[in-house]
Amino acid sequence: MSERSGLGLVEAAIVAALDSLGGRADRRHIRNARVLAAVEERIGLAPGYGYEVLLDLARPWIMPVRLVDGQGNYGDRRGDPAASFRYTESRLSPAGEVALAAERGELAPVPIGLINGNTHRQGTRPPFRPEGIIGAVREVIRRPKVTGNELISIIGPPDFPTGCTVTGDLAALAAGRPTVLRLQARVTVGTDHRSVTVEGLPPNVNRGDVLASLAARAERRDWAVRFPDLDRTTRLPLADVQDTAREDTDRFVCIPEPGTAPDSLRDQLMDVHGIWATVPVALPRPLPALVRQWVRAYVSEDLLTSLARLADAVARQL
Amino acid sequence: MLAAAVLRAEDVSFVLVGSAALWLRGEPVAIGDADAVIEPGDRNARRLRAALARMAYRPQEIPEARSFVRVPLVSVITSYGQVDCLLERGRADWQRLGEAATVIAVADVGVLVADAADAWALRRQFKE
Repeated sequence: MSERSGLGLVEAAIVAALDSLGGRADRRHIRNARVLAAVEERIGLAPGYGYEVLLDLARPWIMPVRLVDGQGNYGDRRGDPAASFRYTESRLSPAGEVALAAERGELAPVPIGLINGNTHRQGTRPPFRPEGIIGAVREVIRRPKVTGNELISIIGPPDFPTGCTVTGDLAALAAGRPTVLRLQARVTVGTDHRSVTVEGLPPNVNRGDVLASLAARAERRDWAVRFPDLDRTTRLPLADVQDTAREDTDRFVCIPEPGTAPDSLRDQLMDVHGIWATVPVALPRPLPALVRQWVRAYVSEDLLTSLARLADAVARQL
Repeated sequence: MLAAAVLRAEDVSFVLVGSAALWLRGEPVAIGDADAVIEPGDRNARRLRAALARMAYRPQEIPEARSFVRVPLVSVITSYGQVDCLLERGRADWQRLGEAATVIAVADVGVLVADAADAWALRRQFKE
């Protein structure tokens, strides 16, 4: 991975290919078949592999800082696959342009790698809030003796783009020790006290799988009479599930069976795998040290300007 | 843990090993997935296949029961968590593991749980 931009080899080839084809943020989208042909020419990567990376660069539920602005069917959180690269288009996002400029040395480096992490590619570095990482880098520049605890507080906990909550041994993560985080959807009783709303599933599960699984867990099993305790513990008292998601967000509403309190259904839902998931994480060194090391490597360059450009690009993608 | 109880309620014959077994034996471990050493045999393989198809997020991805005699393990994500069915270990060790295992209740289901020494030995073997 290039430390200047945080881009991997394939990602760098994709943004460079988009740029060479005229796919800038303020220009028209380029057919992805052409983009992938250009990537193949640059690094010899077959289109099938490159396409998976390109799709992820544009998917808001994967990348906190999106480098590509996609047009067409890029798949969805319900598990629907993307359309073939013959039918989808892309261009650089504002952040993609900043990353490319940093990669080429036209702009000081940007800490996109620290923000995006790599857990979406089975790596162990989780994503963080863009504002947190940018704020921490600025603070180190402004006040080199800022304490590690202050930096950890500025950065905040890992922040996955689906909006799930993150719990676990965050102190171990910040100290650079391997740990396992628990990612949990937000499960709340509706204001009408008749339903339970589930929002923001963990990024490594898809909504279609979870919805099918909830429906299966609501069915009565053949063994229910023989094992009433197990049935009570595992069967979900669900009358209906309504998928109310919009665009790239996860949201569904669960209606409890008559006689079941929504609070009780909420507690049971919280235990369903898929509504929670785990992710193993580890940073190569303590989080404050990572930020300080990054700043030290590029302190001679105009980091404040590149950070301002990145912050502006991130604000424009929201 | 519940995955093991549901598997047993579905009449699958297995010995629970791994972190869930150790936890049930009172050992200080965090429970990860459910690791089950499966009793070899066609009938049990068919029951296992049917049970996994009912439990899995993606039933269509579960291999046919007749392939279970060849594969080392079948790993399935369910709404109870991940279930790893250790088929090769069952073919090699079922008799010995089964004799040392005892039944422990999970909810109201009796689950055959490996002896702590066996569970630790298998865990070391898989982790090293």
